[in-house]
Amino acid sequence: MKKKWLIILLIATCGIFMGLKLQIDQLPQKKIPGSSIIYLPSGKYLKYATFGYSSLMADLIYLWAIQYFSTTTIPNRFQYLDHIFSIVAELDPHYLDPYELGAIIAVYEAKDLELAYKILDRGLKKNPDQWIFPFQAGHYAQMIEKNYKRARKYYKKTMNIEGSPPIARRLYAHAAFKMSDYQTSWNHWREIYKQAETKRIKKIASNHLYRVKATRDIQRIEKALEKFKNHYGHYPQSLSKLVKTGYLESVPKDLDGQSYVYKPETGQVKPPTIPWKR
Amino acid sequence: METALKIADLHKSFQTGFIPKKKKILKGITLEVGKGEIFGYLGPNGAGKTTTLKCILGLIHPDKGEIEVWDHPYFSLKAKEKTGYLPENPYFYDYLTASEFLDFYSQLCPNLKPHNFKKINTLLKIVGLEEASHLQLRKFSRGMLQRVGLAQAILNDPSLVLLDEPLGGLDPIGRKEIRDIILRFKEEGKTVFLCSHIIQDIEMICDKVAILGNGQIINQGKLQDLISEKIQFTEVALSGVSPKELEELGEIYSIHRGRIFLKVFEEEKKRKIIQLVQSRKGTLHSLTPRTETLEDLFVGMVKQT
Amino acid sequence: MKIKAIAFNTFKEAIRDRILYLLLFFAAVCIVFSRILALLTVGNKVKIIKDVGLASLSFFGVLMAILMGTGLVYKEIDKKTICTLLSKPVRRYQFILGKFFGLILTLFIMLSLMSLVFLGVVFFHTFSIPWEIMISVAFIFLEMCLITSVAILFSCFSTPILSSIFSLSFYLIGHFSWSLETILKKMKPGVGKTLVQILYTFLPDLENFNFKTEVVHHLSIPPQSYFYSTAYGIFYTGFVLLIAILIFKKRDFV
Repeated sequence: MKKKWLIILLIATCGIFMGLKLQIDQLPQKKIPGSSIIYLPSGKYLKYATFGYSSLMADLIYLWAIQYFSTTTIPNRFQYLDHIFSIVAELDPHYLDPYELGAIIAVYEAKDLELAYKILDRGLKKNPDQWIFPFQAGHYAQMIEKNYKRARKYYKKTMNIEGSPPIARRLYAHAAFKMSDYQTSWNHWREIYKQAETKRIKKIASNHLYRVKATRDIQRIEKALEKFKNHYGHYPQSLSKLVKTGYLESVPKDLDGQSYVYKPETGQVKPPTIPWKR
Repeated sequence: METALKIADLHKSFQTGFIPKKKKILKGITLEVGKGEIFGYLGPNGAGKTTTLKCILGLIHPDKGEIEVWDHPYFSLKAKEKTGYLPENPYFYDYLTASEFLDFYSQLCPNLKPHNFKKINTLLKIVGLEEASHLQLRKFSRGMLQRVGLAQAILNDPSLVLLDEPLGGLDPIGRKEIRDIILRFKEEGKTVFLCSHIIQDIEMICDKVAILGNGQIINQGKLQDLISEKIQFTEVALSGVSPKELEELGEIYSIHRGRIFLKVFEEEKKRKIIQLVQSRKGTLHSLTPRTETLEDLFVGMVKQT
Repeated sequence: MKIKAIAFNTFKEAIRDRILYLLLFFAAVCIVFSRILALLTVGNKVKIIKDVGLASLSFFGVLMAILMGTGLVYKEIDKKTICTLLSKPVRRYQFILGKFFGLILTLFIMLSLMSLVFLGVVFFHTFSIPWEIMISVAFIFLEMCLITSVAILFSCFSTPILSSIFSLSFYLIGHFSWSLETILKKMKPGVGKTLVQILYTFLPDLENFNFKTEVVHHLSIPPQSYFYSTAYGIFYTGFVLLIAILIFKKRDFV
């Protein structure tokens, strides 16, 4: 074949296949490349099937997952969220980022809070020294689910891990308060107050202590008031009347030593100051 | 006299083919090489010359038999220290220069000082390569490789030098030079064991010869003992006599340009031919007695097996 | 020493082999590429770089060991350079050991070059040099030595292609040892179990040299682990080299 014709043929075929490639790219894509990863089997032996490159595989699958789950055009993409992140956890259980990110995706994108807890629990199980996992879980429980029981459980776990931030304890104490476990809350706020290193923390602690005491006191007073009302048919004129009639041992004062504000008409008891305006 | 090399009843067979079939190459070789001899080991291709040589060097493990080099067992280091070897079609490390190559090998011989470039240059001079000492071996021609092979063979000043087809593929000048080098070895007192199938070379330099055929030594001994001095026939070339008259006297094998060529087997008949030519006033162009050459011996013996 | 002479000669020959530099190039490309890959991640970027780097060192290192080792002895036999060499007063085991040490010297240099690129990329990213990673690299080197000895063993009697396949199989079996362990746990005690037990103990366990994950996550490794793994590596390599020497001794060079 003459050299001239060969070169022409070469350029022609090159142009054709490059044009074809551009055409193919235009076609609507059904799946993103590498989505067969969702069919990887999980299990504790997956790690060994990678011939010693398990960390690298974890990295690559994690990177792929980031792309996959942020591609909004894929229908029903979160059905494999648990599966993929469990694979990454199997391959490299000490890789911390995927647990956090998996939980974030679960909470904010897939709107599956239970999955987020599952992922973070797994993270903590494999890395018992990482307080960030129960901490985040507690946050999700408190902020999004408004489930203080759960939040309290997670904050307790966080507190028990060495190196956890002191705020975990405060959140725990607060959650206990929300759960009406005033004794625990009080005890912990006391500790926080004692161990507080800055004035600010001390102030916060004292405010919370004020509130706990106030709530407890008011509860006691209101219980006594109810008993009085049931007996006498009306609320007493003053709180000291309750002591006289024996429904109350003594009239509690708030943390600052002030008296509670009592409205005999409605039987309402209120603290004299708002806790955080002290 | 000391024996440089002694081989007794050497056997070796190989298993070839996918379904291993035993093929016997050496079927009982026995020979002796005395000190200071140039020993020729002759045989057709595939007879087992290289195999024998490799057995002596320990590159091949014999099935049966004993080999001794200067009364040491052949596989011992002492034997190897006194031996030098040049293989057929030598090939060496491409990327080394001639002197680097010789230096590397000198590090493997315990009795040699390494990095002794003075000695290496002397060696290269002996084989005629002193100008190519810094040239990479990949750039060497066939003849040059043969020479550098010879240089490495005598690197450790061995008393027994084993050469496998040393003159193969060389031009006439090269062949003369190598022959001269081998003869010089003899002058230095070295013993040379030479394998070849080129009879002329063997005839020219060897003292003793062994002929190998079909795995066995057909004949061995001093060169002149093997070739008889007996005149087999005389070749006569003459003109001026008619062929009819010569019919009884000899065997005419060619008539060319008026000359008649014939073989005469008996002395009597030769004298008669000379008289005939004189009487017919013809011309006697040549009268050549032919003795048995090594080639005749070789061909004859190999044909027998 | 004769072994030293052969080793240096082997080294000079091996370091000329272009395939080494091709693999070095690819390793460098992978390591530098990891920097780009790290941009895609959410969270800790250095981990990606470290993982890709260590994986490249391991992968290309083993590849170099196999490709060089399988050709080493075969080439000498094929080109017949071995005939003149063994005609000198050298013992056959010295030849094998010389080849081995020459090759691991070459591999050591190649691995060091790759490590430099790797440490360079990590330094560029974090402005500190993670020296603890070199522990993992040291064990990668040990694994490479073992694979080299296996490649040389096969090169003594087989062609380069077959030797490469066998060496690669050795590598894969070595990382699959856990499967025998699992089977063992599920088997009932008896003759079968004992046989599998023997097989499990005999077959190479290359996971012993795998400290990549631990090093990247800064997990603590008990010092006995280092000691036992190193000893295991050295003895297994010695074992393979002995087999190679035995086979090489029996060989006829036609």
